[in-house]
Amino acid sequence: MMQKLEKLLMPIANVLSKNKVLSAIRDGFLITVPITIVGSIFLLIANFPLEGFLNLMTSIFGEGWDAYLGRVSAIAFDCVALLGVLSIGYCYSREKGLDNRIGGAVVALVCFLIITPQKAFVTVEGAAEAASFSGFQFTFLGTAGMFLAMIVAIVSVEIYAWAIKKKLIIKLPDGVPPAVMESFAALIPSGIAMTIFFVVGIIFSHTSFEYAHYFIYQVLQTPLVGLGKMAGFEVIYQFLSTLFWFFGINGPAVTNTIFSPIHKVLTVENYEAAQAGLEMTNIFTSGFSDFFCNFGGGGSTLGLVIMMAFLAKSNRMKTLGKLSLPAGIFGINEPIIFGLPIVLNPLMAIPFILAPVVNTVIGYVATVIGFMPVTMGVQLPWTCPIIFSGFLVTGSVTGSIVQIVQLIIDVLIYYPFFKLLDQRYLEEETATAGQTDEIDDLSFDDLGLD
Amino acid sequence: MKIVLIFDQGLAGAGGKSNPNVGLNAAKGGIGSALMLESHFAKIGATVAATLYCGNEFFLNNQEEVVTKMTAMVKKVSPDFVLCGPCFNFPDYAKMAAMISASILEHTDIPSCAMMSVENADTIEAYKDQTPIVKMPKKGGTGLNDSIAALCELISATVNHSGDVENIKSRICY
Repeated sequence: MMQKLEKLLMPIANVLSKNKVLSAIRDGFLITVPITIVGSIFLLIANFPLEGFLNLMTSIFGEGWDAYLGRVSAIAFDCVALLGVLSIGYCYSREKGLDNRIGGAVVALVCFLIITPQKAFVTVEGAAEAASFSGFQFTFLGTAGMFLAMIVAIVSVEIYAWAIKKKLIIKLPDGVPPAVMESFAALIPSGIAMTIFFVVGIIFSHTSFEYAHYFIYQVLQTPLVGLGKMAGFEVIYQFLSTLFWFFGINGPAVTNTIFSPIHKVLTVENYEAAQAGLEMTNIFTSGFSDFFCNFGGGGSTLGLVIMMAFLAKSNRMKTLGKLSLPAGIFGINEPIIFGLPIVLNPLMAIPFILAPVVNTVIGYVATVIGFMPVTMGVQLPWTCPIIFSGFLVTGSVTGSIVQIVQLIIDVLIYYPFFKLLDQRYLEEETATAGQTDEIDDLSFDDLGLD
Repeated sequence: MKIVLIFDQGLAGAGGKSNPNVGLNAAKGGIGSALMLESHFAKIGATVAATLYCGNEFFLNNQEEVVTKMTAMVKKVSPDFVLCGPCFNFPDYAKMAAMISASILEHTDIPSCAMMSVENADTIEAYKDQTPIVKMPKKGGTGLNDSIAALCELISATVNHSGDVENIKSRICY
């Protein structure tokens, strides 16, 4: 059964994690993560979930102090498509083996801006008709443009790389500085890509969609993000992520190729709703995925590590538990993935796969019944410890309470399997303590060297 | 068939990156990641006699001592085969494994191999003529089970003098 499953999963993992387009999108979004996290910190300070803190800030800096912080978070969230097109363009240039990766990234950015509306309309109260101004709108640079950004980044770099491989480049004589040489080499490939997107823009302007943004948003982004709004979405993501891990395959590296763009859109949509004064409705944000599904790393192993450190009878488990606990609190479980081990260990597969799924269901139910607020649009580092993360990402103590409940349930899920393995290790330890042979006396201290 | 494993602290279950200075240690039987190898070993009638390990930084700071003492300890235990790995893409551990395996093959009559992923290109290039190095995926890569099965094929053919060892090596090693 396990072998059959592995035979089924391996090709999928191979295709997804080695596919150049999907890898570029996944890694491209990873590049934007630090920006989103820093933006989130500014956002958190401006909207800190303690009334007293906000009043204190107002008394020090005066009314409107939060608007300054908003300038930073606006770039991280409202320009997410802009950052995405640049970083995905860069990663795809890398996947295509281009030397001039930043060249590819810049072409992707430019192509995206070529097909983005460059005129905006505003209705001024009392005016007879809407006034227009030249410039880009956040609307098209934020979530609404995200899927288009992915497509433009891939297609434009594909064109750019094709032209370079076909040697459609201007060669300058030897002795010209390399930077100049590179910039001239990029001229024709950039020109081809830009011209094609120029034409694409014209084509869309003659359709009922007017802009590529509206087209992609309606036919691709809305249906895909719609999947993320369904109750089973996060469960499937968590289940697949740990299932792959059990076979030694980095699960999230595979599943994120498909799920991370959807998580990202859901997260930023919540931010945009909050900024517009509307109710946040998306449950399965990055914050939910990071802080209400797994504690202590993939497989939600924090509960297991706590038991290992404090309840284990075998020396082996106790020692490993104590060593792994500090890292586990910050969401890292590599020591036990290989040291316990969990990889290819059929006994641990069941709780390892079950715990994140159960956590997801608990978190979902707690949100739906209104016990805990929907997670905000903020994105915290995934190493943020339990209890703190629950408070910060929901803005409510109930978030922390839900996490504690989930951790207790995780402990219960892991308990029988923990006991079995601990018992087995203990038996091994006591059995070998009774019967001694020369291997028992192995010690590097009295090793004779000849 | 008795096998000795040479691990770093991570695979031995002695803590990961947070515990890099663990000194030389020997444990009876298989510990840590041995569990993921043991079911494969059982198929070829092999058991883990002992696991020898030390931290990756301890190795880096005491390379000569680690290699000499590990080799001497292997000689003392006298197993049928020594596996220095699986090292995944951990660079320090891969270097340690390759050096120890090469030393065992040079100074004893006990067969040995290292096992690591292609990311350790420098180590592979430097040691592949001195020790067999079995191919395997990096951490989180696909094909871990297959690579362990291939490793067992090599161990079984080497120890039992059955099958064409050179042919197997050319297929599954770098």
